Amino acid sequence: MVTRDLNPHMRRELIRTLRRSLPAAAILHDPEALRAYECDGLSAYRELPMLVVLPETVEQVRAVLAACSERGIPVVARGAGTGLSGGALPNADGVLLSLAKLNRILEIDEHNRIARVQPGVRNLAISEAVAPLGLYYAPDPSSQIACSIGGNVAENAGGIHCLKYGLTVHNIQALTFLTPDGRLLAVGGGAPDSPGYDLLALLTGSEGLLGIIVEIVVKLLPRPERAQVALAAFDDAEKAGAAVAAIIAAGIVPAGLEMMDNLAIRAAEEYVHAGYPVDAAAILLCELDGMNEEVSEQILQVRRILTQCGAASVRTAQDERERLLFWAGRKAAFPAVGRLAPDYYCMDGTIPRRNLARVLVRISEMSASAGLRVANVFHAGDGNLHPLILYDASRPGDLERAEQLGARILELCVEVGGTITGEHGVGVEKIDQMCLQFSAPALTQFHALKHAFDPQGLLNPGKAIPTLRRCAEYGAMHVHGGKLHFPEIERF
Amino acid sequence: MGNQTERVATDTLDSSELLQEQVRAALRSGTGLQISGGGSKSFYGRRVSGVTLSTAAHRGIVGYDPSELVLTARCGTPLSEIEAALAERNQMLAFEPPHFGGAATLGGAIATGLSGPRRPYAGSARDFVLGAKIINGQAEVLAFGGQVMKNVAGYDVARLMTGALGTLGVLLEVSLKVLPRPAAELTLVQHRTPAEAIDVMNIWARRPLPLSGCCFDGDRLYVRLSGAEPAVRAAHDRIGGEILKDDRSFWLSVRDQQHAFFDGPLPLWRVAVPPATPPLDIPGKWLLDWGGSQRWLRSDADAPAIHRHASRAGGHVTLFRGGDRSGDVFHPLVPDLMELHRRIKAAMDPEQVFNPGRMYAGF
Amino acid sequence: MQTTLTEDLRHSADGREAESILRACVHCGFCTATCPTYGVFRDELDGPRGRIYLVKQVLEGAVATRRTQLHLDRCLSCRACETTCPSGVHYGRLLDIGRSLVERQVRRNIVDRFKRRLLRAVIPHRRRFGILLRTARSVRGILPAAWSSAIPPLRTAGSWPSSSHRRKMLALGGCVQPSISPNIDAATARVLDHLGISLLRVSGSGCCGAMSYHLGAHQEGLDFARRNIDAWWPHIEAGAEAVVLNASGCGVMVKEYGKLLAGDPVYAARAARISELSRDLSEVLAREDRSVLGRTGSGTARIAFHCPCTLQHGQKLGGVVEGILTDAGFELAPVADMHLCCGSAGTYSLLQPQISRQLLTQKLAALESGQPLAIGTANIGCLVHLQSRASVPVRHWIELLDACLPGHEQDGQFITR
Repeated sequence: MVTRDLNPHMRRELIRTLRRSLPAAAILHDPEALRAYECDGLSAYRELPMLVVLPETVEQVRAVLAACSERGIPVVARGAGTGLSGGALPNADGVLLSLAKLNRILEIDEHNRIARVQPGVRNLAISEAVAPLGLYYAPDPSSQIACSIGGNVAENAGGIHCLKYGLTVHNIQALTFLTPDGRLLAVGGGAPDSPGYDLLALLTGSEGLLGIIVEIVVKLLPRPERAQVALAAFDDAEKAGAAVAAIIAAGIVPAGLEMMDNLAIRAAEEYVHAGYPVDAAAILLCELDGMNEEVSEQILQVRRILTQCGAASVRTAQDERERLLFWAGRKAAFPAVGRLAPDYYCMDGTIPRRNLARVLVRISEMSASAGLRVANVFHAGDGNLHPLILYDASRPGDLERAEQLGARILELCVEVGGTITGEHGVGVEKIDQMCLQFSAPALTQFHALKHAFDPQGLLNPGKAIPTLRRCAEYGAMHVHGGKLHFPEIERF
Repeated sequence: MGNQTERVATDTLDSSELLQEQVRAALRSGTGLQISGGGSKSFYGRRVSGVTLSTAAHRGIVGYDPSELVLTARCGTPLSEIEAALAERNQMLAFEPPHFGGAATLGGAIATGLSGPRRPYAGSARDFVLGAKIINGQAEVLAFGGQVMKNVAGYDVARLMTGALGTLGVLLEVSLKVLPRPAAELTLVQHRTPAEAIDVMNIWARRPLPLSGCCFDGDRLYVRLSGAEPAVRAAHDRIGGEILKDDRSFWLSVRDQQHAFFDGPLPLWRVAVPPATPPLDIPGKWLLDWGGSQRWLRSDADAPAIHRHASRAGGHVTLFRGGDRSGDVFHPLVPDLMELHRRIKAAMDPEQVFNPGRMYAGF
Repeated sequence: MQTTLTEDLRHSADGREAESILRACVHCGFCTATCPTYGVFRDELDGPRGRIYLVKQVLEGAVATRRTQLHLDRCLSCRACETTCPSGVHYGRLLDIGRSLVERQVRRNIVDRFKRRLLRAVIPHRRRFGILLRTARSVRGILPAAWSSAIPPLRTAGSWPSSSHRRKMLALGGCVQPSISPNIDAATARVLDHLGISLLRVSGSGCCGAMSYHLGAHQEGLDFARRNIDAWWPHIEAGAEAVVLNASGCGVMVKEYGKLLAGDPVYAARAARISELSRDLSEVLAREDRSVLGRTGSGTARIAFHCPCTLQHGQKLGGVVEGILTDAGFELAPVADMHLCCGSAGTYSLLQPQISRQLLTQKLAALESGQPLAIGTANIGCLVHLQSRASVPVRHWIELLDACLPGHEQDGQFITR
């Protein structure tokens, strides 16, 4: 592999080649400019790329890929840089390919309820554009104001309405992507399915390792006639967990079902002033949507269940403004936690919901023994838990302790039958924990699939899927439950 | 995984080791394997040669916890058994997998990836797949995905397996998201011309109505509404139409192709198009399902002409039943995409042991 | 965000403040979504998160080049990012600190230096600007169209109310507004007069100091502040209840006097008191019983309101003027992307004309899409900028209100240019 220091000549030569296809302002190469691109939304991991390119057209993206693949130079794709797993962390010897300038909505087909968009379009911008038609794009990650649809596809982003409306994979219908050597391929189409293998599913959530997505067809849904949200306060998180199970057992599939613990409630309240009860141990936000009549009936049912499950208080939003305010607090919960500590580290495990109480107790024990506070935000409907570990990166040793605590939390998620990442992706952050979740043959299978798309291994190397050697080292460092992971791999 | 889900008393048998041994043997002898569950969908896809690998004995619901909305079962488990277990807890498989026969298994439903009338409104088979345990082409047992709603760790191999017709590996176990059964359900019938029917189905789909089926038989338009009782009632008022008496058997007949439309010797084509596509100018008899996006055609028109029409409309065609099962049954892929398919096949099943040629010539 | 300041900065007040601002940033990137220049360039370096990075590098001891300065220059200081930021990062303040550090490290070219010096020498000085404007108007006919459209047309002020009420409020002398649009202050006085309040013009009060301050000339800016404090103080002691600002850009600055002069032993206490008593005109009206004004705009006009950044992001008063106008019977046309800057941004339209022009085009399209009869705003800078290319009249909202007061001599005047 080429390295910057070893071969400045090659770097200059690459810049010269790229200048033929891209304007000079679209190629950043001095360290002063590169620094702003050293990380994505996860600032604990930083690396200066060799170059940043900002193409404006698919043709320019193709030219970048062709130039890199000819020279064996790695390429890392980046959208809005809001990812929380370091998926867009640059490669020191590679090109960081920003797709932010490909931000046009190409077509809105109201009759077939789809929109064709470029990857740099913001998630929220799609819903805003189709709002006059009474339609919207359902997945709504908390960062939807800023995150790009291309990044959403790469990470298979979720949101607070996943239980009812699914993740990104359920809400897109076609993709156009470039192979690392610059060939343009289309999967899916206007029909509900397509011939051959489900490459749409395979590419969604592939974290930029299989291809560079340059166009996306998203599905649009009719905006529900009415949405109403109930906010319930509990003096005990376990009761809130039981209320979630009771709502689902009653045959209700809420549009959103979210839980926040006390620390998260206080942080969000300070920013949004949503009227959250700041002394509650936990709150549940339960949103119902659909036809007017349906919502009216179900909101009563939900109120009853929440009260039966021991809610200290239950409020429903008085109007649309208050409903949006209730959600604004939840959506801003992560960065709002930034008010409690200089830095936070966000985990993304998913667990079978029945283990919630047990997991929360274990997290608070681990938090106490690590000496770091943890705020919990929980997509309660689908079991996706976001513990936010508060730390101060300027304090020596804090980051390391936060990382260790995070790793223990993810191991706990796997232990209770869950997964290390529900919606943020593995990126660079959770790559070691992949070794806990997958066996060596399964990881080998992933590498074989990667090879089918990217034989040179140039797209986002070192992310998402660990090498077996890396797992062996991780296993040696950390013997779990007395069992040595990957005993078959030779250790150093 | 220790405290999994509650076990359901059922006829269970774990024969994954036996299956794994059979795959190893096939690899040693270089023979192809034709994977078969209940045999109900053996007509589908291209004709396959090879020794039969029967998954029927690998059966049983492994875990089902209604409040988690997740069910895990072995591939040989009959669909009817799964549906009965779910019905007991007032839940269902929302993608309404076609059975095409009493012996239909979960493995066959997922391997073909077929979905019933509810699909455009509730989601497809692959949308509900959460995880899968498989045997790959090197006779290794691998687990992908999981038993939780959201899981983005690793490539989504479980969904890649869905609809791959067993050409990438043997499904051993599948975890599915399940949903509560709607409290109320009702089917309305209206007389419409084909163009009107397509229009109206798509107008309804743009409105927040509790649709769960839209099917047009050339004369009558059938609309199914599902959801909370007040919602169904309100939607009924808005849409109008006569209430269909025995609606359950109607939708079953569409799902399992027992409807009179499917009788007779002519080849059955499946034309998948954007739902609002106007009626296609291909001679034959039509039945429109999925709100206009899945169109069944009984026709002896030649394949290239049908392909052309569908491609022009932005869709694709499958020779679903009958006709020449040794030629191209599925819509041809462009060369670059075909090449990528071959590489994926090679990554999963390098010795080409599973269902050789069932999807396209060569795999 | 992890930050390691250089030794000497760690001991300065600015350095410590910058550090605490930087530490609040969690790098989530939400700010890029509402940043007007990120919208234009789609480059991290032209959004708040990237600029924070650039400032951070300087604070950590890296020597800035023209590149850093260029991206900091391109910032409008609109502070839309602060409204969006869930972590409460005081970006505007950080940028001021960063700009002044970079100003010391990077020598601008001679043309740029001259332009900035000239702006500072003319704009904040009422008399100099007045002369310039009169001259420009007199030669308007021989100027190219592109230049002449930028020269605001002459409009008369109307009378200043003669009655004297017990309740008194103080006006800011201002810099460019009295020359360009003297009617704004007069209309303010007339509407307040209706409400039983006398607005006092105080000799000695002039420019608020914002322009110099944001061009990196901190001391010069603070001197303007001290002069205003000196001018207002006797009246405050005599019982004036508030300082009323009808240019939201000045309002943001005056409200900051307390913070900016906290380190000045002579002025700190008085500055803090002045900031406490400062109100945007809309805040004053919102608290008064406006029934005496009646539904003045009723049936008169459909208007589009552009809420200046300094009002909605700087003073967090979005929606207040809109409420007053609606109550008064005006029909407000819907405006998309209300959070975006019009591109005026103080001296920005003169220093970054291309970006400014692009933002102006976007903004006018949004404002005029609802087919209003006039555009209202709340800051003289935005007013002049919008007016240069708008196809309908642009007025301060208080003029709209004033022009429709019953029996008023200028009844409905805003509808004609």
